[in-house]
Amino acid sequence: MRMFRNVFRRKMRAFLTIFGITIGVFALVVMGSMAEKINLLIDGGTRYYSDKVVVTDGSAGTAGFTMTPIGVGRVAEVESVPGVARATAGIWMLLDENGGMSMGVPQGIVGNDMRAIDLESFKLTMKEGRDLTTADRGVAVVGCDIAKALNAKVGGTIDLRGKPFKVVGIYEKTLTAPDNTVAVSLYDAQQLMYAQLPDIIQKQIDPNQLATSITAYPQPGVDADQLAATIEGTLPNVTASGPQVFVDQFKSMTKIFNSIIFGVALISLLVGGLSVVNTMTMSVLERTREIGIRKAIGASHRQIVGQFLGESAFIGFLGGATGLLLGYVVSIVANMLMESSGTVLFLTTPRLAIGAVAFAIVLGVASGFYPSFHAARLKPVLALRYE
Amino acid sequence: MAPGTSDTGAAGGQGAGAPSDSRTRHTRLIIETEEGTKTMKTIVSVKSLNKRYELGKDNYVDALRGATVNIGSGEMVAIMGPSGCGKSTMLHMMGCLDTPDSGEIWLNGRRVDDLSTRATTKLLREEIGFIFQGFNLVSTMTALDNVALAAQYAGKSRRESQTMAREALEAVGLAERAAHRPSELSGGQQQRVAIARALVNKPAVIMGDEPTGNLDTASSAEVIDMMREINLLTGTTFILVTHDPDVAAACDRVIHMRDGVVTDDTSRLVAAAARDAERDLERVA
Repeated sequence: MRMFRNVFRRKMRAFLTIFGITIGVFALVVMGSMAEKINLLIDGGTRYYSDKVVVTDGSAGTAGFTMTPIGVGRVAEVESVPGVARATAGIWMLLDENGGMSMGVPQGIVGNDMRAIDLESFKLTMKEGRDLTTADRGVAVVGCDIAKALNAKVGGTIDLRGKPFKVVGIYEKTLTAPDNTVAVSLYDAQQLMYAQLPDIIQKQIDPNQLATSITAYPQPGVDADQLAATIEGTLPNVTASGPQVFVDQFKSMTKIFNSIIFGVALISLLVGGLSVVNTMTMSVLERTREIGIRKAIGASHRQIVGQFLGESAFIGFLGGATGLLLGYVVSIVANMLMESSGTVLFLTTPRLAIGAVAFAIVLGVASGFYPSFHAARLKPVLALRYE
Repeated sequence: MAPGTSDTGAAGGQGAGAPSDSRTRHTRLIIETEEGTKTMKTIVSVKSLNKRYELGKDNYVDALRGATVNIGSGEMVAIMGPSGCGKSTMLHMMGCLDTPDSGEIWLNGRRVDDLSTRATTKLLREEIGFIFQGFNLVSTMTALDNVALAAQYAGKSRRESQTMAREALEAVGLAERAAHRPSELSGGQQQRVAIARALVNKPAVIMGDEPTGNLDTASSAEVIDMMREINLLTGTTFILVTHDPDVAAACDRVIHMRDGVVTDDTSRLVAAAARDAERDLERVA
C-alpha cells in the first residue's frame, strides 16, 4: 500500500513507465503465445514422425506433404525392405484445392488404408462420435479446430472438394496437425484426388492405386533414420524421410520464430528498462530529502536499497501484469475472430504467463539497481539540506 | 555574564579516565550553578572539532575551528550563535550525520567520530533522535507510520512498531491524530509527531536543529513545553540548536558559538520551570 503510494506520487510518470513495460510485455506475450502454439505444433509433428519413415515418389522433394502420387502397389515393395515391420499407404491433400496461405499447419484432408493403425504411437481419441473404418464410404471424422471452420457436427454434412460427406466423429484436441485435418477412408480420398486430376492423367491411372506417401514402420530395435537410408538404397526412384529430416525442418522453422521472440524481448528490455531507470532516478532525486530523513532516523544502506528496489520491482510487476492481461485478452480475441477460419494462432501457456511477469519484475529490479545504490550512498546531512 | 556562569569546558573527570586513544571512556561533568554544584555523567563530549567545507578552488569555509563542549546526561542544552557560526555543523557531527576533519566526539562513553557506516546506523537507531526545523516527516505516511518507521528501522516488528508509535504519539498528546498525513496537521502538530519519532526508540540524546524555527509563537511554546516535559520525565538529554530565546530560556544551559568555536556557555538550574512542568503534569493527570 505504501509502496503503491510512493510509486504513484507522480501519477503521470508512473503511468507512462508502467505503460512502457506493459507494451514490452504485451508484445512478449502475444509473440510468445504464437511461438508456444507453433512449438506445440512442432512438438506434435516431431512426436508423430519420431518412429516412422515417410516414403514418397523420388521425383518430389523430401517433405511429406507432396502431391506427386506414389503407387499403392509399392507398399509391398517397401515392406520387403529388411527392417520394415509394416507399411501403409496414405493420401494427404489440401482441404481447399486452391491452396491459400495460412499460419501454422495448413488445413488438409487425409486418407489412410489403416493397415498399421496398431503400430501407430500417435493415438487420436474421439471427442464425439466414432473413428473411421476402412469400409467407410462418404463419411468423415473431423479435427476439432477445422470442425469449427467447417461448422461440422456429428450427424451433419460437410463439403469436401465439392462432395458431401457425413460427419461421424470429431477428434479430441491434440494442439497439433490433426486439429486441422479431416480424415476420410483411403478409398474416398483416392476418389477425391482422382476427380481433380486432368483427363489425360485420369486415363493412365487406376484411382485405387493413388497415394501421396507410404509410411513405413520400423521393426522393434531398428533405427528409423537408418531404415530411411536403407529404403532409399534398396528401392529405385523413392525418397525416404526419417525423423531427423522432419526435426531439421522444424528446427529451421522455430529458429526464425525464436529469434523474433528474443528480439522483442530485447527491445522491451531496453525500452522498458531505460524508462524504469529514468523514473527511479528522478524519484530518488525528488526524494533526496526523504532519503536523508530516513537515514537520520536509522535506515541502513540495505533498507534504503531495499525500499527503492522494491518500488522498481513493483513497477515492473504492474507493467508485467497489465501487459500479460492485455496480451492474453488480445490473443483470445484474435483466436475467437479467427475461429471461423479454423486457425488457432495463439496459446498463452502458464509458463509463458509466469515467465513474462517474472521477466518484467527482473527488469524492474535490474533497472532499479543504479538509482537505489545512488540513493543509499547519499550523505544524510547533504540529503537533508537538499530542497 | 550573569552570575552562575560555569566553567564546563574544564569539566571534571576527563583526565581520570582511560587514555584518549581508547574507544570507551566514561567521565563525569561538574557544572556550577546558582544553587551549587551539579555532578552528572557526561553524555556528549566534543573536543577540538575542525571542519572545512571546500566550496571550490581556493574557496572554503571553516565551519568549525576547534570547538569543544561537554554535555551532561539529562541536560537540556541550547546552542546559540549567529548564522554560519558552526552550530548546526557541530550538532550534525554530535549526531553522526556528518564527520569532522579532526577532533573527537564521544557519545555515551564511546568514541563515535570515526565509526563505520553500519555502526553509525546502529547509533542513529538506538541512541540518537533527531528533530528538524522543517519537521521532515515522510509526506506519504500517516503520523503513526512516520513514528513507527523509526522503530521498524531499529528492528522491531511491524506490529510492535505500531504499538510503540502509538505510545510515543500519546506521550506528545497526538494519539487521536495518528491516522492523519503530515499535510493534514498543523506545524506544531507535525513537530510533535517528529518528537514522537525521535522518542520512539528511547534514545539517550535528542538533537534538535531549530525545532521551533518554522513555528508561530503558540506552537513554539507548545513544542518547547513538550520537550521540557519529556526531558524532565524521562531524563532524555536534549541538545537544541536555536535562534529562539524562548527555547534558550527553557534550557538548563546555553552554549554560545561564534566563528566555529564555543565562546561562552551558561548554566542555571531551572528548578522553577521543573516544578511548573510537574504541576502541569499533575493537572493533566
